[in-house]
Amino acid sequence: MALLEVSHLDVGFNTQLGSVQAVNDVSFQIKKGETLGLIGESGSGKSVIGMSLLRLLPMNACVKGEAFFEGKDLLTMKEKDLQKIRGERISFIPQNPTASLNPLLKNGLQVSEVFERKGHSKENSWKSALKVMERLMIRDPGLSAKKYPHQLSGGMRQRLVAGIALSLQPELVIADEPTKGLDSLTRGKTIEFFKHLEGDEDRAMLLITHDLDLAYEICDRLAVLYAGEIVEMGPAGELMDLPSHPYTRGLIKSLPKNGLIPLEGRSPSLLELPGGCYFGERCCHHKKECSCKHPQLKNSGAWQTRCHLN
Amino acid sequence: MFHYLLKRLAFMGLTILAVSGLTFFLMNIIPGGTAELILKHTVLELEEIPTSEQIAEISSQYNLHDPLYIQFGRWLADALHGDLGSSYILKKPVTYLLLLRLPATIYLALASMTIAIALGVPLGVICAVKENKFTDYLLRIVTLVGVSMPGFWLALLLILLFSVTLKLVPVAGYGGIKYLILPAIALSMHTMAVTLRMVRTGMLEVMNQPYIAFATSKGLPPRYIIIKHALKNALLPTLTVLGLSLGYMLGGAVVIETIFAWPGVGSLLVDAITARDIPLVQGCVLTIVGIFVTINLFVDLIYTYVDPRIRYG
Amino acid sequence: MVKIMKSANYFGWHPGPFPQINWAPYHKILTNRTVTVCLMILGVMVMLSFLAPLITPYDPNAIDLKSSLQSPSVDHPLGTDHLGRDVLSRLLYGAKTSFLISLSVVVFALSLGIILGGAAGYFGGLADEILSRVIDIFLSFPGIIFALALIGALGSSVLNLIIALGLVHWASYARLMRGQVLSVKNNDYVSSARVIGASDRRILIKHILPNALAPVIVLATLDMGHVILSAAALSFLGLGIPPSVPEWGSMLNAGKEFMRTAPYLTIFPGLALTITVVLFSLLGDGFREILDPESEVMGLGAA
Repeated sequence: MALLEVSHLDVGFNTQLGSVQAVNDVSFQIKKGETLGLIGESGSGKSVIGMSLLRLLPMNACVKGEAFFEGKDLLTMKEKDLQKIRGERISFIPQNPTASLNPLLKNGLQVSEVFERKGHSKENSWKSALKVMERLMIRDPGLSAKKYPHQLSGGMRQRLVAGIALSLQPELVIADEPTKGLDSLTRGKTIEFFKHLEGDEDRAMLLITHDLDLAYEICDRLAVLYAGEIVEMGPAGELMDLPSHPYTRGLIKSLPKNGLIPLEGRSPSLLELPGGCYFGERCCHHKKECSCKHPQLKNSGAWQTRCHLN
Repeated sequence: MFHYLLKRLAFMGLTILAVSGLTFFLMNIIPGGTAELILKHTVLELEEIPTSEQIAEISSQYNLHDPLYIQFGRWLADALHGDLGSSYILKKPVTYLLLLRLPATIYLALASMTIAIALGVPLGVICAVKENKFTDYLLRIVTLVGVSMPGFWLALLLILLFSVTLKLVPVAGYGGIKYLILPAIALSMHTMAVTLRMVRTGMLEVMNQPYIAFATSKGLPPRYIIIKHALKNALLPTLTVLGLSLGYMLGGAVVIETIFAWPGVGSLLVDAITARDIPLVQGCVLTIVGIFVTINLFVDLIYTYVDPRIRYG
Repeated sequence: MVKIMKSANYFGWHPGPFPQINWAPYHKILTNRTVTVCLMILGVMVMLSFLAPLITPYDPNAIDLKSSLQSPSVDHPLGTDHLGRDVLSRLLYGAKTSFLISLSVVVFALSLGIILGGAAGYFGGLADEILSRVIDIFLSFPGIIFALALIGALGSSVLNLIIALGLVHWASYARLMRGQVLSVKNNDYVSSARVIGASDRRILIKHILPNALAPVIVLATLDMGHVILSAAALSFLGLGIPPSVPEWGSMLNAGKEFMRTAPYLTIFPGLALTITVVLFSLLGDGFREILDPESEVMGLGAA
């Protein structure tokens, strides 16, 4: 049985400009110990998926569908029950470590409060926090714990946020763009850190990223998102080597090592999605069928594609 | 930090000097009026017109023949030594009168501030949590009225209801807690409403910050998140307003003190102004402005303590 | 020759068409429901107050000791005061006093703020340094204290009240005006006007003023409620307006002596005052919401 089973997830936002459909009918599974990568451009809805699973989206979000975690639906369960799952069973590594750490609270407290909630004493929690910080390769944890987030380096904040998320040994980690906005050196270290994490056999991970190299190195399976829906999903290695959806192919071609060939055009506005294939306008294999009929996700073994061409 | 403090203190000194000087020259704008005034309060009977000899005598006694800037210089030199002169009407040293009146003002200001914070902050949080629900709308109407209602009218209504009709508390005066209740409520209403407004806005803004989402994802209870993570951040901008309010209150809630016959600095100032008692007006203005700018400096210094990101260079 | 002209034009030598004020946000003001409703009610109130001599059956100052301190009745809908004067009539006349005084205060403070703030921003240098310090000083102490001292010194009269409150309020307009002028001054069209040799005065009047003024005037409108409150507070203290002139603050002051026997003397003027200020507060929230959509305001109809 899968650890997490998401089916027909829809997320919309009510804004002043109208309703925005950020995620459309997304279904996927994550098995125990497996790492699934969600890749796509910014605005493809990948971060929204991650946040919606733990119900972290703002009030104006409208989430539909199911997300079963060990037989219980995360999206409909009571807030109190979900609170017990958050952090302890499923944790979340946010994409912007600087904004995700409370600027007015000491680093140590932001780690130790996780233990305190589990009923540990203040003293023990602080000790556990120091241990966590030590494991994160933060120099002189005793001193850093008494500092405030703005006094740490960007890389340290990144690791601190990851460390907080992992401190209670959760079974599933949702990592939202861990390499976004990092310089190449810090990015390298972060990738190493995540590789190390991935080595932990029991832990499953949902890695949300636009960084294809990171996804390729770490993930077992990949799901490619475009305009809020999955266009292709399959085993990481095969998908990167033999992509079948034109969008995935375009993404891979746009990598620096493949010649940095950019994808033409822009993603459609989520306010007004086109009638046919969402990728239709940008696709070089465009057929008549593509602009009138929306393609369905087709299964072939472990592989799924949403395209009229295959 | 030291440099910053020095600059602030210099500006504070300049402000106090400017305001004192301005008041002094304004009060002396009517030439010869001062001597006449002193006479009216001392030797003369009602309706009696002072003779020119009397005026000349008083003028030389109080050095009123000197040019204004010399008089002001003399006042300033004395003030720096803690001597603010002597009141014409009450015939006591101004410093003594101020020290006599200050405790009542501080007592009232602290009581009002406590009410404003104790009600404004939690109600603001409730408003934010229940955004656009009935409670929120109700409290927003209360806030709107609270911000717009003149404090002295609220004071009159409170007296009408609680003193005149229900006879629960005395109409006015100074003494135990039962004298304090009405003026403290009347004085706190505006600050309370402003605090509620700012806390609500701040909370709504902070609750959308990524660090709140991250705190939620850690599995922390909502109550803990609101108090420990959100409120502190939301209160930061409110601090300035609270400081200003405290400054105003400590500066003598002029109108409220007058209505309730509260023996504070504010009512002293009104008495001094109606009697054109120049040394007393000068002393009151100096004290009030001094307290106001000092409180504001303290608020800015508190920011460096509460918000670790702020460092004054 | 033509070619040279063109290239000169290209590099921005030509002052170009006079830039228009961006009226879009101000146009939106009139389409906002809260703002429209408030403006309409305030308009009616102003009209009523100016038509008071035609509407009210009584002279607001007609003393009739035989019918003093009467409770509200058909003859006197809001009762009579201790001198037998009709409260409703005085309330309507009082509205006119309040509106006129506040308007005068705002106009006075605005003129002072625009001239001094504009001068500071436009001339810069030492003038700016000195004026900015003066503005800072005026903003850093409680204004009401200064107004009190001023009225104490000058004596209480309507004119002195207006001067005192004007001197209290000008600094915030001056600061805004200075900022506006600074930002407009650095625009390209002003520098190009200078390049073609326009005089300081011409630049100031034709180019800077129209663009810098709009936000300052909006701020002043928002301040009306605040000014009405301070004016009422001062006349409540018996400073400013002579007791014979009908004004809400002084009516409250006179009425508080008769709280036991005639509580309506305390209630109605305060109610009128509060309603007026509530309308101005709502108006201000509406304006701010339109001009600065980022800021979260608590206008009731707006949310």
